[in-house]
Amino acid sequence: MTKKKNGSAIQRRLIPTYIFLVIVSFISVFPFYWMISAATNTSVDVARGKIWFGTYALENFKALTAANDLWGSLGNSFFYAIVQTLLCLFICSLAGFGFELYHDKGKDKLFSVLLLAMMVPQVATMIPLFKMISSMKLLNTVWAFILPAISTPFMIMMFRQNSRNFPIDIMEAARLDGLNEFQIFFRMYLPVMKSTYAAAAVITFMNAWNAYLWPKVVMGQKASQTMPMLIANIAAGYTIDYGVLMMGVLFCSIPTMLVFFILQKQFTEGITGAVK
Amino acid sequence: MDTRSSVRKDSSFFKKGDKTLNKKQKGLNIQAKQQRAGWYFLAPATILIAIMSFWPMIQAFIMSLKTGSSANMQWSEPIFYNYTRMFSDKLFMRSIGNTFLYLAVEVPIMLILAILLAQMLNNKDLKLKGLFRTCVFLPCATSLVSYALIFKSLFATQGLMNSILVHLGILESNFNFLGTAASAKAIIIIALIWRWTGYNMVFYLAGLQNIEYSVYEAAKIDGANGWKTFWHITVPLLKPTIVMTFIMSINGTLQLFDESVNLTKGGPANSTITMSHYVYNNSFGDSTTNFGYAAAMSFLIFVLVAILAAINLKVGDTRD
Amino acid sequence: MKKKILAVLLASAMVVSLAACGGSGSSDSSDGSTAAPVTSDDENTLTVYAWDKNFNIPALEAAAADYKENVNKDFNLEVIEQSQSTDVENAITLAGSAGDYSTLPDIVLFQDHWAHKYITDYPDAFQSMDDVDVNWDDFSQEKLSYSMIDGEHFGLPVDNGTVIFAYRTDLLQEAGYSIDDVTGCTWDKFIEVGEAVYAKTGKYLLSMDGDGNDLPYMMLQAEGESQFTDGKPTFAENEKFVQIIDKIEEMISKNVLYLANDWSAYTDQTITNDMVAGVMNGNWIIPTIEQVSENSGKWEITSIPTLEGGEGYASNGGSSLYITANCEKTDLAKDFLTYTFGGSSATYDKALTDGGVITTCISAGQSEVYNEGVEYFGGQPIYAKIVEMGANVPVIEQSDSHYGCRKQVAAAIINIKDGAKTADALKEAQEQVNFEMGN
Repeated sequence: MTKKKNGSAIQRRLIPTYIFLVIVSFISVFPFYWMISAATNTSVDVARGKIWFGTYALENFKALTAANDLWGSLGNSFFYAIVQTLLCLFICSLAGFGFELYHDKGKDKLFSVLLLAMMVPQVATMIPLFKMISSMKLLNTVWAFILPAISTPFMIMMFRQNSRNFPIDIMEAARLDGLNEFQIFFRMYLPVMKSTYAAAAVITFMNAWNAYLWPKVVMGQKASQTMPMLIANIAAGYTIDYGVLMMGVLFCSIPTMLVFFILQKQFTEGITGAVK
Repeated sequence: MDTRSSVRKDSSFFKKGDKTLNKKQKGLNIQAKQQRAGWYFLAPATILIAIMSFWPMIQAFIMSLKTGSSANMQWSEPIFYNYTRMFSDKLFMRSIGNTFLYLAVEVPIMLILAILLAQMLNNKDLKLKGLFRTCVFLPCATSLVSYALIFKSLFATQGLMNSILVHLGILESNFNFLGTAASAKAIIIIALIWRWTGYNMVFYLAGLQNIEYSVYEAAKIDGANGWKTFWHITVPLLKPTIVMTFIMSINGTLQLFDESVNLTKGGPANSTITMSHYVYNNSFGDSTTNFGYAAAMSFLIFVLVAILAAINLKVGDTRD
Repeated sequence: MKKKILAVLLASAMVVSLAACGGSGSSDSSDGSTAAPVTSDDENTLTVYAWDKNFNIPALEAAAADYKENVNKDFNLEVIEQSQSTDVENAITLAGSAGDYSTLPDIVLFQDHWAHKYITDYPDAFQSMDDVDVNWDDFSQEKLSYSMIDGEHFGLPVDNGTVIFAYRTDLLQEAGYSIDDVTGCTWDKFIEVGEAVYAKTGKYLLSMDGDGNDLPYMMLQAEGESQFTDGKPTFAENEKFVQIIDKIEEMISKNVLYLANDWSAYTDQTITNDMVAGVMNGNWIIPTIEQVSENSGKWEITSIPTLEGGEGYASNGGSSLYITANCEKTDLAKDFLTYTFGGSSATYDKALTDGGVITTCISAGQSEVYNEGVEYFGGQPIYAKIVEMGANVPVIEQSDSHYGCRKQVAAAIINIKDGAKTADALKEAQEQVNFEMGN
């Protein structure tokens, strides 16, 4: 009885918190509502700021698919993002594993040097990188898209930090059992670090999916364009159909939201390990 | 076995060194073999970063010492011409001013908001935690291009925000938010806060979950109020996370590009243009294609980020 | 089980990555991830970059059909569609700076104002068109001045940038004026009419893109002058230009001219949202005007006002075709371009009907199709009129920094609107242009 009373007293004290959180949540979600409602309205209604849902969703969708290669772009985006995520996770987790569990003076120094790469502005390296990719004849291929992004200091750092929670003693036990270092990585490290992989996957997938500047430079051909490029193109047309544009934006946003929803729990756990 | 765990114990973010290696040990052979295996693990990542980040950076530096059309670049005369030149470039100075304004206004508001939200969501008595957390994080799932377009249409002169504000009587007539310098800057800042607060909050939330609840219980017994606990317990314990998010935010803000391009195109009259956007304009945009100058300016950005990050690390490191 | 799947995925990823490292040297990996080539091995196939499927792509297709029917039945033109004109421009810049033109198709279409810059910056990028059998005198000389360097031809014109001034005749009438009152009038008279139109109908007589700044350029060209003299920006000292800027500011303050934030606001908010009673721009703006179907029959076009009075002519936008260094089938490319865009009525008529592309070729502009009345414009034969006006556009000095200059002048206009002095703002803009040009 007293406990219950106590509980409702606590809840009462939390009312300002709830109000604040509801307001913040509303502001966070409102633009999504706008995006979805705009996707169901005509261009004129969107431009005039109509707030309610309309009945034009199907027409917008038809116009979107008629004038643009929606499925191709979605397919490209998925393909690039998945390949980039897999490779990035693999390469960066290998490195994080190596940097933390085999660390010595040299490797620590190297790690600090690699961190510098985090601060290199993208606009600075774009032109030399383009020349390099172009001379390798990789323009408009998945490699042009992913190569600069599959080894990032941030991901390495994340795996390195998380690796501190890896029970080191079982490595010794495993070695006594005759496993070599690579077997230890594949059979023991990989399964234990599941939540770190999930968090890293969410971040990498979103980055890859949302990448715009670099793909615009190296993926010039229509056949290799991605979703952000597709919607940027709709927005750059001589005349813009805002309903169609918002339909495109909606299609561009759904996959990243889904990935986040599916991996949400592991994502939070993975980040928790990283900031320990 | 012993040596390995002793190595483990003194591991920290930026390690000073590893004494154990200097000692003579039994099984040095195995140890060396393992250390070598370590190098194999980090080799692919290191080589990729070297080729994809450092090598282009070196080339960009060489380019920054050259002038001329992009097909036929010559060594500049004097050699640091592009570097001295940028300080008399009013537009570049303006873009630095804009970028630092975003940095000074947006980053503190965003990070404080993120910590507050994390603190609230970490309350174990709070209901619907998952729902709130998801809502606050959701903006991060949108691509930079998408959210810039969403904000652009929300704040258009005939757009939704205007019709709401006029309807509520706050505005008398439709206001050209993106066509007025001050409000255009404000909207970029609002958009940034909207997009990135949840992202930073996740890191704080994770950091808070690593703090033992008993610490708070103890503080409560000592009679500390909510604000005191927050300031004297939460903030110090979150310090490494705060330093990390600060560095990430500084890095992100100084390289701010998509918002300036897609939301305002740097306008009106260049009042919202960012450094990266101006650099881009000098490489691909409407301005003269001047790769050398663009490279020199991006080097300045690199140096600024590095300096600010170093200051951050120093300030954040005082506890040791 | 899950662990295994993850391990398999990661392992396969590793294999792929190793394969990539090995395969990057030889470009012929066949995993479907390699790029489609930009040129074709087939000896009768040409490739071209173009960007607007409602405008210049139908024109190219019309030319291809014409050539295929009348010259070479095996001919095939592969249009590689780009999303926007800047994509073609970036592709040229990147190819040029990498010194590797193999990323370019046989032919590229790009905006005229870039031509001088690209040809001088990348002298190896384009093949000379001097030796083709085209009657150059049959083209608007102003248009050709873009694609010529030191008298040498590098490109062949496709569309026409001649500026039209389209008016809503019904609204003019409501305000007590007719289209004759604004044909050949002074800008002062125009402002008078504009004030009356705004007072009577609530519509602006003109709008401009506050970010791109077409208007001052067009107004100055109508005066026969350029923002540049001998390669340097001189607009701040140009009295006529200062007057023009003052007129623009006057128009803004008197609600004659609406300053839109950017290009899309200019087209969507002011034109298709029916905010204006007049539109002045390159004739490619016509399809945008025509989007407001309820105003059909109410529009008419004419020339543009000038400072001292008299009909003004200008040109804005438009593009030409260039043969790249990567083209190995030069003879075919030249023959194709010469036969079609060199003056074939079949090509130009179909380009007009399918894509609304208007020619700068004077003889092609005299065909029946061109002389038909256009219902939307009250039965006025606007196409023939545009070709005719195009021949009157004065040739003025062009510059590599055309767009950079426009951007700075646009900023100056906004600054003046917000209180800066005209002379100071223009001087600052000119300094910035000089700075960007490295002067």
